[in-house]
Amino acid sequence: MADMAVNGHGRRVIFQQGTVLKTMVLALLILLIVLPLLRSVLFTLQPDNIRAWSDVLSGRLATSLFYKPLGNTLLIGIVVSVGCVLLGGFLAWLVVMTNVPYRKTIGVMATLPFMIPSFAAALAWGALFRNDRVGGQVGWLQGLGLDIPDWLAWGIVPTLIVLTLHYFSLAFTIIAAALATVNSDLVEAAQIAGAKGRRILMGIILPVTMPALVAAGSLCFAGAVSNFATPALLGLPVRMQTLSTRLFGMIEVGQVGRGYVIGILLVAISAVFLWAGNRIVSGRRSYATITGKGGRAKRFDLRGMRWPLFAIAMTVLVAATIIPVIVLTASSLAPSSANLFSGWTMHYWIGQSDPSFAQGIPGIVHNEDIMRALTVTLALGLAVAITGMGVGLLASYTTARFREGWMSAAITQISFLPLLVPGIAFGAAYIAYLGAPIGPFPALYGTFALLVIAATAYLLPFSVQTGRAVIQQVGGELEESARMTGAGFLRRLGAITVPLAIRGLTAGGILIFVKIIRDLSLVVLLFTPTMPVLSVLAYRYASEGFGQFANAITVVILFISIAATLIANRLQSKSQPWLQN
Amino acid sequence: MGLRKATRLGVTGILLSSAALADGHMDGMGPAELLPLAQQEGTVTVYSFTSRIGKVEAAFEAAYPGIDLQGFDISSTEQIARLRAEAQAGVTNADVIYISDTPVVLTALLETGIIAPYVPPRVADRVDAQYQSPLLAQRLSTKVLMYNEEANPDGAPVSNLWELTTDDWRGRVVMVDPLQRGDYLDLMTEIVLRSDEMAAAYEAQFGAPIALDGAANAGEQFIMDLFANDVILVGSTDDVNVAVGALGQDNPPVGFTSYSDRRDNEEEGWALQVANDVAPAPGIIFPAVLALAAEPKNPAAARLVIDFLMGDETETGGPGLAPFYVAGDYVTRTDIPPHPDAVPLDDFSAWRIAPAETATIRAEIGDLVLTLQ
Repeated sequence: MADMAVNGHGRRVIFQQGTVLKTMVLALLILLIVLPLLRSVLFTLQPDNIRAWSDVLSGRLATSLFYKPLGNTLLIGIVVSVGCVLLGGFLAWLVVMTNVPYRKTIGVMATLPFMIPSFAAALAWGALFRNDRVGGQVGWLQGLGLDIPDWLAWGIVPTLIVLTLHYFSLAFTIIAAALATVNSDLVEAAQIAGAKGRRILMGIILPVTMPALVAAGSLCFAGAVSNFATPALLGLPVRMQTLSTRLFGMIEVGQVGRGYVIGILLVAISAVFLWAGNRIVSGRRSYATITGKGGRAKRFDLRGMRWPLFAIAMTVLVAATIIPVIVLTASSLAPSSANLFSGWTMHYWIGQSDPSFAQGIPGIVHNEDIMRALTVTLALGLAVAITGMGVGLLASYTTARFREGWMSAAITQISFLPLLVPGIAFGAAYIAYLGAPIGPFPALYGTFALLVIAATAYLLPFSVQTGRAVIQQVGGELEESARMTGAGFLRRLGAITVPLAIRGLTAGGILIFVKIIRDLSLVVLLFTPTMPVLSVLAYRYASEGFGQFANAITVVILFISIAATLIANRLQSKSQPWLQN
Repeated sequence: MGLRKATRLGVTGILLSSAALADGHMDGMGPAELLPLAQQEGTVTVYSFTSRIGKVEAAFEAAYPGIDLQGFDISSTEQIARLRAEAQAGVTNADVIYISDTPVVLTALLETGIIAPYVPPRVADRVDAQYQSPLLAQRLSTKVLMYNEEANPDGAPVSNLWELTTDDWRGRVVMVDPLQRGDYLDLMTEIVLRSDEMAAAYEAQFGAPIALDGAANAGEQFIMDLFANDVILVGSTDDVNVAVGALGQDNPPVGFTSYSDRRDNEEEGWALQVANDVAPAPGIIFPAVLALAAEPKNPAAARLVIDFLMGDETETGGPGLAPFYVAGDYVTRTDIPPHPDAVPLDDFSAWRIAPAETATIRAEIGDLVLTLQ
């Protein structure tokens, strides 16, 4: 064993178990995540930029620059994460543990909203609820004669709703995976002892799935506070700013120092929340629920509540999936977004270039830029899914098996870091980090490698967290038995941990693939003309007033995402065992 | 060893200087001489702050077969950030830079040597000296107050900028967030630079001299009052155009946008019109400049593109200038007649920005706008 050393008295002293592994993983994470961010921090400490700190924290600008956006950001983070855990948890419970009708349909639909880019959902909200505050075209509902008040059309309320409807499916995926592995022994024991459904839920299922609930809440919190597109699209007309829109605005106008300071503070604030969450989880000793034996528990009988609960679930799911898709599709066909359902044309899909139409931009199948971007995007998604899961597996395995010690804590915290960094800041940091040559290594600016490395680092929290929730539940006893029979690290990983955890890892891989192909904020600065990606092209078309092309591209992204999920499900028929009867 | 190294250095030096010489030599070439060199290069990349680059791309490739023009529509603010990042990485992606935001461009891109000026010799004698230096201006663009002429058939509903700070226009003035688009920050800056005119206009509107309430001057007071009157900020110029211009509105807002976007009225279903008579001025007029990357990968094709964008020898400049020969854009070439449908440049009352002067207080005005949000 490489990670053990024995002294003269036969006791392990030099290396604790897992030290070599932990050191390797930590070094990798430092290279991928800490160094780029550190560069940003050092940047703000240069003499030219140090003033940015006082501007942001104490000057006359501080209220606008920092404190007001901070208030909005925290409100969004807390409301959205609580909403997502409740909503995602409720749906996961329905699908995994009850006999609600059409469980499979609910299960599949609950994973869809996360595949819809949040900027698309925000645009769809506008197409429906937009009132005449900004003038011009009103949304569909206002067009029907309803008077949509400002608070429902713009600002914090729609932002909270759109983000909750976006991120709850992330919570669903994580919580469902955890619920599916709840050991039947526990539930049956409780049933034999005469416990009722509520008691079992509160006394067994909730405590056992607590790591998943905390992980889900943390991910949703981090996602919500760093989301840029939704508050930007829905908040700007009422001048609602969050830290991420403020950061974007600062970098956009070249006040990079202030931007980085805001970004650093955003990281620090989120870190406090996540540290608290991590404390809750690591305070307990073991969450192992998949052990060498045990089977599936009986489902709860909802009796008379089967259909009412089904109706509630479907209302939420239709609002989060079907409606945005219909609105997006319709607006990729309608020449005027005012009349979503009339005068449809296929020009934006299959039309040839026509100088009098949309500045001569051809339909997307004839558009070289879009076709090249499609290739790059797919390649990027695959590459990042593989590299991401590789690093993610190492990190989650390490922290689950060797939970003790500062290095494990550091690995956990560092792997969480990118979540707290708005994508655009992460992109900017990476340009500073790998954009210029380092010693013998050439500058990676504009290369595929830069996209892959930055995206791998940026999405690591997702691979680590999804993997971790599952790996932590793979009982250590199996691996310990293998070790006692002399299996080495790689052997144990390949023969026991990976097969048992493959479900979580695959889920993570899909999540990463889907997340990167529809990511906008990270790639928007890493994007270069020679290395185009679909989401940036969609964003550019949208911002130039060619909403139809943007929506057509978004529909393509959506289609690829759904196809990816279905293929992955088929390859891994056991990936959603909770759907089997 | 040392000798060999020295030789290598010498050879490199000769190669580099001959490359530089070749590039410099191209500055005197006309399009006919540039074409074969450009065709050898085969491709050219343009960063453009306007989506009209799509039309230019088609026209250029039709005029010069064998050269693939890759046009990228990137806002000025983003171009500046991108070009600086690329320079830091030692990468040159763009050959030609077509950009506004001159106050920042001059200090951040030109003085730092990221971009270089170029004036095609063919048109050098037909562009005013003020538009040739420090960078070649292809045309003048605008950010001015526009209104909906369908809802206001008798003319602009506003005659003085200060009206926008009154209750009648509460929540009914639209513009792009000046912190997100540089030309809007230039507009705010110009209003402050023109504080004397703003003070006079205030007195004309309200009949009393302006009393400053926490502002340093009349321009700042206007910006503060405008924001206090619930000005609506949106993300892009097209959002302003739709808000102000869309047909069929009972009570449309007014907004600051590009005069030339009026060209899309028919195609987009807008009724945009400029409020040219508003006192003291409807907004700003500023140059859109063309430049080369400091070391373009395709030096000949890059020069050919700039030559093309300055228009050919036909009356209105031909296909290269066609996307810009529209009402509301003022082409700098003196031999091209003004567009018949636009307010003539001499009668256009928008303020001309002086980029160097704007640059001096631009950041300060940005901070002011920041405190109001």
